[in-house]
Amino acid sequence: MSYLHSPRLVFSGDFLSDVSTVNNDVTHYNNETFTSNFQQYGTGSTNGWWNPEGGAVFNFKNCIVQQLTMPDGTSVTDASSDIIVGQIVAGSEGRPTGKMLDLDPDAQMVSALWCVQIRICTPDNELLLKGDIDPTCFRDMQLRQLAGGNVNGQPYGACWTSVLTNLVWGENIEASPFLSQLKSATQGNKLSINLNAFGYYYNHAPDGRFSLGKIIGTIGPWFEGEPINFAACRRLYGVLNVSAKSQSQYFAINNFLLEENSNRLSIDFGNSFPISDSLGTISATQTLIVGVANTNNAFLNNASPTPTLVDASQFTEIGIVSYISGSNQWLSQLGGIQTFNNLPDNIVEALKNNQLLLLTPSITDVGQYVLLGRETIDGVYVRADNFVQRIDCDQTVTVDFYSYQWGNILPNATINVKLERATSNIPLDPISNPICEIYGNNFPQDGITFQTTIQTNSDGFGQLEITGNEINSPRVYVDGQVYTLDYDNSVDEPLGDGSNVVIHLRDYFEVPENPTWSDISAIMIQYANLYPIMSKYLVNLANPNDLIMKKDILKFAFSRDIHDTMHMPVTRDLSDAKRTTILKWLDNPIIDVPSLKSTEKQRNQNTVSLGTPLTNNQLKYKEAVKAKNGSMPPLPSITNLFENL
Amino acid sequence: MLKIDSKYVQMAQSATELCELHFLVQKAIELEHSTIPPYLTAMYSLIPRTNIGVRTIIHSIVVEEMLHMTISANILNALGGKPKINTPDFVPEYPGNLPMGIGGSGFIVGLEMYSKDLVKNIFMEIEEPETPIIYPTTLMAKATLPTFSTIGIFYKAIQAKIEEIAPDTLPGDPALQVTSNFFASNLLYPILTKEDAINAINIIIDQGEGTDDSPLDEEGELAHYYRFEELYYGRKLVKSPLPPYGYSFTGASIAIDTSLTGVYPLFPNTKTAMLPDGSEAKNRMNEFNSSYYSLLAGLHDVFNGKPNDLDKNIGTMYDIKLAAEKLCAMPFPDKEGYHVGPSFEYVSPTAFLLS
Repeated sequence: MSYLHSPRLVFSGDFLSDVSTVNNDVTHYNNETFTSNFQQYGTGSTNGWWNPEGGAVFNFKNCIVQQLTMPDGTSVTDASSDIIVGQIVAGSEGRPTGKMLDLDPDAQMVSALWCVQIRICTPDNELLLKGDIDPTCFRDMQLRQLAGGNVNGQPYGACWTSVLTNLVWGENIEASPFLSQLKSATQGNKLSINLNAFGYYYNHAPDGRFSLGKIIGTIGPWFEGEPINFAACRRLYGVLNVSAKSQSQYFAINNFLLEENSNRLSIDFGNSFPISDSLGTISATQTLIVGVANTNNAFLNNASPTPTLVDASQFTEIGIVSYISGSNQWLSQLGGIQTFNNLPDNIVEALKNNQLLLLTPSITDVGQYVLLGRETIDGVYVRADNFVQRIDCDQTVTVDFYSYQWGNILPNATINVKLERATSNIPLDPISNPICEIYGNNFPQDGITFQTTIQTNSDGFGQLEITGNEINSPRVYVDGQVYTLDYDNSVDEPLGDGSNVVIHLRDYFEVPENPTWSDISAIMIQYANLYPIMSKYLVNLANPNDLIMKKDILKFAFSRDIHDTMHMPVTRDLSDAKRTTILKWLDNPIIDVPSLKSTEKQRNQNTVSLGTPLTNNQLKYKEAVKAKNGSMPPLPSITNLFENL
Repeated sequence: MLKIDSKYVQMAQSATELCELHFLVQKAIELEHSTIPPYLTAMYSLIPRTNIGVRTIIHSIVVEEMLHMTISANILNALGGKPKINTPDFVPEYPGNLPMGIGGSGFIVGLEMYSKDLVKNIFMEIEEPETPIIYPTTLMAKATLPTFSTIGIFYKAIQAKIEEIAPDTLPGDPALQVTSNFFASNLLYPILTKEDAINAINIIIDQGEGTDDSPLDEEGELAHYYRFEELYYGRKLVKSPLPPYGYSFTGASIAIDTSLTGVYPLFPNTKTAMLPDGSEAKNRMNEFNSSYYSLLAGLHDVFNGKPNDLDKNIGTMYDIKLAAEKLCAMPFPDKEGYHVGPSFEYVSPTAFLLS
């Protein structure tokens, strides 16, 4: 089940993400080579990228409840049927805004929401529903804007999936049949939530939408035993590349849910439907057909720039995607979720163990269909839940895995886990790497210990234990190391953002008995460099006397729980040992002349030689980071979507 | 000279039951709050890393206004009332009169960039003691001025009435009292007894105005009036050998730069409606006001049964600060030579539905 399960609610509007960008460049972490222009607006590593004064704020803006899907499958879009339609969806009130942040400069593809609260309320601010979004990192990043992202700067979209906890239901929810039914349907005092985000603005465009993006949210029931950070549903993957040169596919990743007992199929195109602008306008006009593969017609095709033609005998049509062309109405009001109700029994039967397909009639081969997307091979879906981990030395964490087939539990699945190979250091180069040497990732390889095979149990549930071992400054000027574990279950799938577990392992650090400024100065100067908003407006973190003047508020912030919005550092990238040291220093601030402490520990050296090729996943990551930082060349505009297939 | 509409003082004097003071203490909360946006706007107009001395002084006063607001809310709770913080009429219209007609109808307070005139004509007026002591700016003596009605008189009237009619143990629920690790426990403490309330009102009066014969409050800190006066003269008020004054503005000079390198030229009393639709400035202003609303809503809850939530609101104050500082750095669209000031407008979360 999942957020697609009924009763569910769709809201849409804008999101604000005031992320900071000086830290998007790993070379900016080097205190010795840092210069003040890295804090200035501008692209390229000698500048601070597009939002150097970001404060990490994430919030919902201009969001309203658009549509409800009731347990019987009926859709409600007007407030006369249920008072929750048209109500406001907002962020926290009476506490600070939520935050959005990266795991590490070498792990920028798992940007996380922390401490984000969501509230649904009436225009009189009467609360209907409130909950805290469990921290969640974005996934399923895919290309959305096929006319390129010239206006806003970011043509990609992604989704956050999580649960709402600490639920507070309004006093008057009986007035809303939807809320009453949602409350009785859900379990564990949680709700499932999915947020599809796209159309984000790096650019100070004339429409004033800098740091805003579009967001489509879906809230549905959550059921015991389900994952937290992905939807327990089925997946359809795009198989046609956008162009010969691109690694991106049309309709790259789509969640869908078959509710067998109610003969209903819901497909979420909200994170995949190609759009022509940053506001979600659809310009496609071609017919899109949803079908189910006929028995003995399994589709193993991986993504390719070459269209795959499908014969009418190979599938059974379920229906036409009823998207609305020429506006953003379909995404903004209906969330891009296609629901087929009252499916004939034979279709439901077929879908129980055959692949879902997305097709469009071929223009060039009349009578044939071009395959745009297919469900996973054998309907298998294996995924890590809490796939992003911050680990201190000698700490062990557990990552949960779930295995499904055709939407049901797949017991006794074997999952293979392997550590990606180390990447080489990148030496200083006046053109391509002008600031300082960049250190590779995934080394030393024995920095983490983990099982290489996991077996899921009879509930399709398995766990991976990862232990952080002592590492000593492998990246010299950036704390710790980033490790990526890839996993598979022997099925080769075009998984988009990949099946991986991303880990930031912190450096070994011993808390001094009586820390002096020398013990923390490098840490604090680095924060002052990377987050100019702090030094400019709040406290100069690089100046010990300034810290002493503000020590009460700093102790307050540095001692907050990681799930508290006011936790410092906001980036949540400091080991407990280093944070304890800062707190100890604030308690008894001793200022000495900062000196480079001669570490007794031998630094971990990278043994990978320059020029060692990157793996496919590593190449994809590199391309995605370029896209994220707005340093990728503009994409060519595609104006005749599917017209020449 | 700053006057208070005498009807409020009379209301306090003629009260026969504690509940008749609720309205007046609510007004006191509103008054304490109403000074914060003007002070903060002036402070945020100071360009970062300049005017450090000015910023420090204004900040210290704002923090004490927050303390006074909290003390007043504690008193209202102690008297059995219910502080109201989250309603539209809690936020004054700027420019306009302060609550209770403070200073008379001609005394208009706005949200403006820092200037010497603003300090002299508005801030010092707001904080003026009942008997301001005129300290020499040099070691020359000057005459003192006559006595006038002030905010202090209003507080004293409430204080006298509490003394007269309140029981020793005040009727409010002690669980509603708000304290904070950010204020010393001799300044912010639970108000449970008549004596607690009387002492707490003295803190407000002394911090704002000083005592009748000294510029210092009980903690030995300069009263607000004299701290602003330091800004006006650009010098610290220090002990002076010349009797009878004991102090003069002959201390260290305070570096003040009111040119364009020190102060953003904020458009006076910027309003959201002045900003073009679909502009970044308008979006930023909406974020600012939504944080301001979030703070008012949060504080309302703090003073109405969730005293432990005060810490959460500290974070919202930083949200407000950062949003305001960024606004002040923005050139005003279509108003050449001006920057955008924070508007401190009461904007309910639903306002966007109307736009």
